[in-house]
Amino acid sequence: MADVASGPGVFAQVRLVAGLRWRILRNLMRTRNSRWDIFGLVWAAIFASAFVIGLCWLLWWGAYFSVSTGQYAWLLLIFWGIFLFWQAFPLLIAGFGAPFEFRTLLRFPLRFSTFYIIGLAYGLADFAAVCGTCWLISIAVGVSMARLSLLLPVALVIVMFIWMNITLERLLSSWMERLLARRRTRELLFGLFILLSVSAQFIRPAIIHYSEGVHGSIQLQRLISYLSPFPPSLAGSAIIAAGEGHPLQFLSSVGGIFIYIAVLSAFLWHRFAAQYRGEELSETSAPARAAVNATSIPSERKSDPLGFLSPPVAAILTKEFKYLVRNGFVLISLLMPPLLVLLFSSQFAGKHPSVTHTRITSDTFFPGMMGYLILMLMTPAYNCFAYESKGIRNYYTAPIRFRDVLLAKNLMYSVILIFEIAISMTLLSIRIGLPSTPVFAATLLALVFAVTGQFAIADWVSLSFPRKLEYGSMHGQRGSGVSIWIAFGVQILLGGICTVILLAGRWTQNPWLPAEAFAALAAASLAGYFAALDALSRVAEKKREVLIETLSK
Amino acid sequence: MSEPAILTENLTRTFGALTAVDAINLSVTAGQFFGFLGPNGAGKSTTIKMLTGLLAPTAGRVRLLGLDFAADPVAVKRQIGVVPEGMGLFERLTGTEYLNFVGRMYGLDRETSKRRSDELLHFMQLDDRPKSVIADYSHGMQKKLALAAAVIHGPRILFLDEPFEGVDALAAGALKSLLARMTERGVTIFLTSHVLEIVERLCSHVAIIHKGRLVAQGSLDELRAGVSSDDSTPRSLEQIFLSIVGQGGATRSQLEELSWLT
Repeated sequence: MADVASGPGVFAQVRLVAGLRWRILRNLMRTRNSRWDIFGLVWAAIFASAFVIGLCWLLWWGAYFSVSTGQYAWLLLIFWGIFLFWQAFPLLIAGFGAPFEFRTLLRFPLRFSTFYIIGLAYGLADFAAVCGTCWLISIAVGVSMARLSLLLPVALVIVMFIWMNITLERLLSSWMERLLARRRTRELLFGLFILLSVSAQFIRPAIIHYSEGVHGSIQLQRLISYLSPFPPSLAGSAIIAAGEGHPLQFLSSVGGIFIYIAVLSAFLWHRFAAQYRGEELSETSAPARAAVNATSIPSERKSDPLGFLSPPVAAILTKEFKYLVRNGFVLISLLMPPLLVLLFSSQFAGKHPSVTHTRITSDTFFPGMMGYLILMLMTPAYNCFAYESKGIRNYYTAPIRFRDVLLAKNLMYSVILIFEIAISMTLLSIRIGLPSTPVFAATLLALVFAVTGQFAIADWVSLSFPRKLEYGSMHGQRGSGVSIWIAFGVQILLGGICTVILLAGRWTQNPWLPAEAFAALAAASLAGYFAALDALSRVAEKKREVLIETLSK
Repeated sequence: MSEPAILTENLTRTFGALTAVDAINLSVTAGQFFGFLGPNGAGKSTTIKMLTGLLAPTAGRVRLLGLDFAADPVAVKRQIGVVPEGMGLFERLTGTEYLNFVGRMYGLDRETSKRRSDELLHFMQLDDRPKSVIADYSHGMQKKLALAAAVIHGPRILFLDEPFEGVDALAAGALKSLLARMTERGVTIFLTSHVLEIVERLCSHVAIIHKGRLVAQGSLDELRAGVSSDDSTPRSLEQIFLSIVGQGGATRSQLEELSWLT
């Protein structure tokens, strides 16, 4: 019989879990194999602290100002802002944090009530929760400093609002976790998320279109009235009612928040109960046998479309293509560039631009749009081994030189770029027309220069600062900090060079000057790229242990 | 006399202050089924990684089939097949696609690669799930696929790191037959395994590494002769192994410390 007479209490268990989370974070920082990564992390911490503290100060001042001047309506907006951040941010960054599933604690002898409390407490450790709590405390301080008599009501509202937010956030996360447990759903949802993010940018043009002639403050009042039954409005209304001396209204608002807490808690209790009973979320460990008979698969065609390439390069290119079409998220994300072209062309160019008053000519818009596409599409090239996982060993055990691997990967990116740019160009030509021939030629040559110029650097970064990404998963999708900084720097540098050359054509009034300059630069970068491949192969040999170890984790 | 299929000279690998492999000199004759044994953390996987080009030695030399690995790694890799620790599969490809990929990486033409892939998948009994990606395979199926990939180009030396781990008895029997037939045809097999019974049954020669140093090397008979015995009963490989690397299990005093458990 086990020696454990009674388990530790709830608070002891919560403390243990908090300690566990802290150790996970600490060990994550210890295992970083690059000083540059720590440098990036320190910078991120500084930015995050400045963000939180800055907003704390701003919200304290906002709350103080709104209460002392009697303009309580601002409080509603502040509560809505915090609420949206608290709920949306954890979902947005779900893939970037250290993966820790508190459900793994189920192996220990926990009572369900303890499991539920730990689940809630776990929600308090999120970045969004820490931010939200700090900001709400700042508001409470601001309101209380403006009117000390509001200290108790505001404290009650803040505590209930925090409770409601944690419960809702845990509920949403729990549902997301369930939905994302299956690969296909995960990939589709991730793709859907990207599409929604892009679509959100159409909201402003739509609002502008449908609310012409209506003043902004009236629009805001209308919006607030529609949102009044929701928790942030209730929290704001409660403080307003307290400030204006309406106890019944205060109680009804607080009661409204309490009902939300009760309903959400009931849902969360139900979700956690399912987890506690041992809900299986993982991928099918033994999927049903495929009904397809081996003989029913059409035999491969005899002709080899990649016959002009060496067998290893063709093999890697084929493998990269298969990986692309099976990664639903990446595949759907390829829809983004054409969508962005449509969006920006409606905002800045065309007959009726929604953002600018004067339309931008296609001679300016076209190169700018292409530059933006390159900025977006080239970023994955800076971590081109991200999805290799343990398969990276194949490149080292096979009798090939690593230059073939890099060449194949860069070829794949080139094919994607050509495909995306061709679609975008077609859309642009329909929406706003193509630019003049010199600008068109200069842009195409600039693309060759910018892409090949980046490939060699991106390959070096991929070899030197590899970071494994989980295929089709939201977890662990954070790239290496230093690779992001380098990618950003290189793209700014190349963008700057291209802009100066394009402007030089205007200053000298020689329309073909940029095309000539870019032709020379493209030739030089192509030559440089092929010359660099052997050197990069040597880097790959030197870095093989780090590469294999990092990607095989 | 022809040069050994596998020859290492003072092969050493250090990780900071830790010497994982300490100047080992291995010699494996062509066509041998060679077992490489050692306790956990002894340096087996580090050695096999250095022999297959996955890890650079800190010092020493590796010669495979008379070729210096460092001087011409591509030529050496053409001659060897590897089932590495952790298998190293591309999990988002199907079994057929992966074998085709590996075949092409070793320079086989498309038709040969396709034909051999089909034959190997059939032999390994993996051909009934042509559309399943490797991520959906069981551990044993992945192991069989890794082995298929290691032999698709007809290697002259095969390095196998725990090849039978997780493989069912039926498939293991077929694999053992395949490997035995390969050695008959002159293929050298270098195998590491923790299951000493398998090594004893399959291997003609064995080396034992302990704390990074090679502590024994030779045929099973030679090893048996080298270990003193109180009676005339032939010693099993497990007994030889335990007598060479030290303590055979926990001592009574150690067990007494766990009296609350036992």
